[in-house]
Amino acid sequence: MRKIWFFMVLSSLVTLLFVNPEDCINALMTAGSDAVSLTIRLLGIYAVWLGIIALVDASGLSNKIANLMEPVIDWLFGRTDSETKRYIAMNLSANMLGMGNACTPTGLKAMAGLDKQNNSVTASMAMIMLVVINATSIQLIPTTIIGLRQQYGSTTSSDIILPTLIATIISTLLGVLLVKLCNKIFKRRSKK
Amino acid sequence: MNASVFVTPILIILLLIYCAKKKINTYSTFAGGAKGAIQLCLDIFPFLIAIFVAIQLFRVSGLTTITADLLSPIMNAIGIPHELTELMIIRPFSGSGSLAVLEQIFSDYGPDSYISRCASVIMGSSDTVFYVATIYFSQTKAKRLLYAIPVALIANIFAAIIACQVCKFC
Repeated sequence: MRKIWFFMVLSSLVTLLFVNPEDCINALMTAGSDAVSLTIRLLGIYAVWLGIIALVDASGLSNKIANLMEPVIDWLFGRTDSETKRYIAMNLSANMLGMGNACTPTGLKAMAGLDKQNNSVTASMAMIMLVVINATSIQLIPTTIIGLRQQYGSTTSSDIILPTLIATIISTLLGVLLVKLCNKIFKRRSKK
Repeated sequence: MNASVFVTPILIILLLIYCAKKKINTYSTFAGGAKGAIQLCLDIFPFLIAIFVAIQLFRVSGLTTITADLLSPIMNAIGIPHELTELMIIRPFSGSGSLAVLEQIFSDYGPDSYISRCASVIMGSSDTVFYVATIYFSQTKAKRLLYAIPVALIANIFAAIIACQVCKFC
């Protein structure tokens, strides 16, 4: 990540120097204010979802979901404590229900829990698994994109549902299997 | 009208009824949960700035188009139309940025064209890998992410290849 960031910023700045140096400050400031406005928007979204999530947690529903999903969670993430398990369960369900905005707050809480157990500067398999599952998206119905297509006058705006479903299932499955595979390789290497 | 718009409200209604049955103080529980959002946003804000600076500079400098031109032949070789290269580059970094590229594709090629359908499926089946990884790992002490980002990228690229093939038949 740090290498990519450094390379992107440096190469862009060097190119800008030759193309149009006057845009540089402008671009930096736009990025800054865009990030601020996104954070403020996210603050509202996360607050509402964390409120709802607190209700799910307090009512004992999250425990029930976690128990229901226990075999899957144990297989994917290995041993975790019950609080982290509850957040993972909520994160996965929010993912599948297509509630994209509810995924992040639950996912972040789960990451914090996983970090407590890991307590190292090297990411654990469970952390990587959670990130990969969330970064490959298991959204069942892509509502935003369907809406956008309608806006542009599409007559068959929902014909992308099936292909998207196929692609998204494949990407998540592949991601999960690759994490399992890489984990084995890394473990073997660290033993040597 | 899409059936999925009912999912969230119905779930929340059921949740509230369930909470009432369990005699939970819904008002203060909700408020207590919402409080946690401030800390979360404080945690992710610095990383958001870093990502936004990088992606904004990358676009303004014109490096996106240059990289897109360079990658086009590779894209064609793996069965992804080269018109989608820019989308593929922006997608892992920025949700709003890639949505803008998607809109551009819709208006250039028409929303029902093969290109646009491929773009829609790619957009729907992938996610912002760098963004998700940065935000999620902001909650941890982990500095070495090992294979996290490569695996997620490979899975999404593979899904994009599949998407373009499936779109030929659907």
